[in-house]
Amino acid sequence: MHLLVQSIIVGVLTGGVYALMATGQTLIFGVMRVINVAQGAMVILAAYLSSSLFSSFGIDPFLSILITAPILFVLGFTIHATFLRRLRPEQNELSLLIMFAVALGIEGVLGLAYSTTYRSIQTGYVNRSFTVAGYHVALVRLLAFGLSAVILVGLFLLLNRSRFGRSVRATVQNPTSARLLGVEPTRVAAIGFGLGAATAAAAGAVYGLVYPFNGGSHYDLISRLLSIVMLGGLGSLGGSVIAALVMGVAESVVAANVSPIWSSFTFFAVLLAVLVFRPRGLFGVAQRGAL
Amino acid sequence: MGALLSLDGVVAGYNQGLVLKGVNLSVDASEVTCLIGPNGAGKSTVLKTVSGLLKPISGTVCFDSEDITSLSTHERLRRGIVHVPQDRSLFPAMTVWDNVLMGAHIVRDHAAIRSRLATVVEMFPIVERRRQAHAGSLSGGEQKIVEIARTMMLDPKLILLDEPSIGLDPRSRRLVFDTIRELTKAGRTVLLVEQNARSGLAVAQHGAILEGGVVKLEGTGLSLLDDPLVAQLYLGAVAPTTSVASRATGVLPSPNSISALKEPQ
Repeated sequence: MHLLVQSIIVGVLTGGVYALMATGQTLIFGVMRVINVAQGAMVILAAYLSSSLFSSFGIDPFLSILITAPILFVLGFTIHATFLRRLRPEQNELSLLIMFAVALGIEGVLGLAYSTTYRSIQTGYVNRSFTVAGYHVALVRLLAFGLSAVILVGLFLLLNRSRFGRSVRATVQNPTSARLLGVEPTRVAAIGFGLGAATAAAAGAVYGLVYPFNGGSHYDLISRLLSIVMLGGLGSLGGSVIAALVMGVAESVVAANVSPIWSSFTFFAVLLAVLVFRPRGLFGVAQRGAL
Repeated sequence: MGALLSLDGVVAGYNQGLVLKGVNLSVDASEVTCLIGPNGAGKSTVLKTVSGLLKPISGTVCFDSEDITSLSTHERLRRGIVHVPQDRSLFPAMTVWDNVLMGAHIVRDHAAIRSRLATVVEMFPIVERRRQAHAGSLSGGEQKIVEIARTMMLDPKLILLDEPSIGLDPRSRRLVFDTIRELTKAGRTVLLVEQNARSGLAVAQHGAILEGGVVKLEGTGLSLLDDPLVAQLYLGAVAPTTSVASRATGVLPSPNSISALKEPQ
């Protein structure tokens, strides 16, 4: 029983990190109907940037997000302006290929700049943990979970309480009507894409603290992110958070109680099992745009 | 009252071909002008060229004594032209309140937004009554009223209404037409496209018949309702009187074109 509870605690904290990574993916899909298969590569890029800022300037990875988030925002905005904006609605499937090319491009640049050796961000607190009621809690995972919660709440408030958020939701639900009210859908999509990419900055710093990584780590990461987004329901922010927690716990419980060999497979087994009964995922929305 | 909007020789269309083939039309201030005609005549296309969703190939669109032909939708919105399209245009997963606030998207003055909200709530009680309801959960009639309420957030000079009664039950239709009457009482100018020609002309001070991409006939709403030929062609019955008070601006369709007019194009 102790092992089960311990693995659930680890799973929930890991799920928080997954949620942060998947949120950007969901936001981009919600705004543009683009499945951003480069989201994993952007997370790894951000992990490298945080790692470099820490090793070169001693900037804490959590603080480095203040620098990397604007960089990733500009990257996302530029990718949209350069490639995606030109696509006509009937060419939307091409966005998948474009984003795959972007992912490969990022991987290539990282390979050139940093080689393919695995690295991790080793801060003074990375291995610290404390005990609560007999259960170990890793400090870095708890901080990561807290950061995820703060960013997710911020994103929720941005989308639901701000003028920009209203225009994003309006564009997602009815682009023509939004345009007739003075919203510029292209601008909203570009900013939405930039924001989705900026969440990768926070996710990257956390990822670099928790896991070792190299340029090719995005393949494993994107398969997990897509599973989470599918499980939660494409386009549902709340769904992706719940799905991330479900996946995190399932993976951790199986790793601790069955075998680590089966933990990755658990991700996809849960996904397939749910999709059999709920093809739209846990919180899939029939209505376009219910972010 | 002078003309607030005028279209002069407007030619416009889509990839499939020309739809408007030289439309001339004037819309007077503080009046309802109703545009009727068979399917495919170009009624909705006229509204799109006025709101800027469609750029004319030739001709001019003047609003408030200014040539706005080359202005964007956004710039026309700033000048007070709002367009309520035929399809349901509310954002279904957003609340009624957020939908109404979206009407003031381009307004930066918070005091003006608050003041307009107060006016809209007074004029359209449904906005307050259902403020937290998702717009998608409202009935068709309620949605149309909220769409019109939303346009008022911009304090518009000209409201373009495309088939507001389509798909509505008789009670909701009545509510929509009553609302249109209220708009003109409040000094708004409305350009109304309506398939339900009888109701549209009844609420309008001015009417125009569009056929084959040109305005074939204009007159007051009542005179067009009284015109036997108009009644036969567009109202589905013979008019109660035989007086023809409308002023023709072109050639009426020949009897041979009647069957063609009744066929959807």
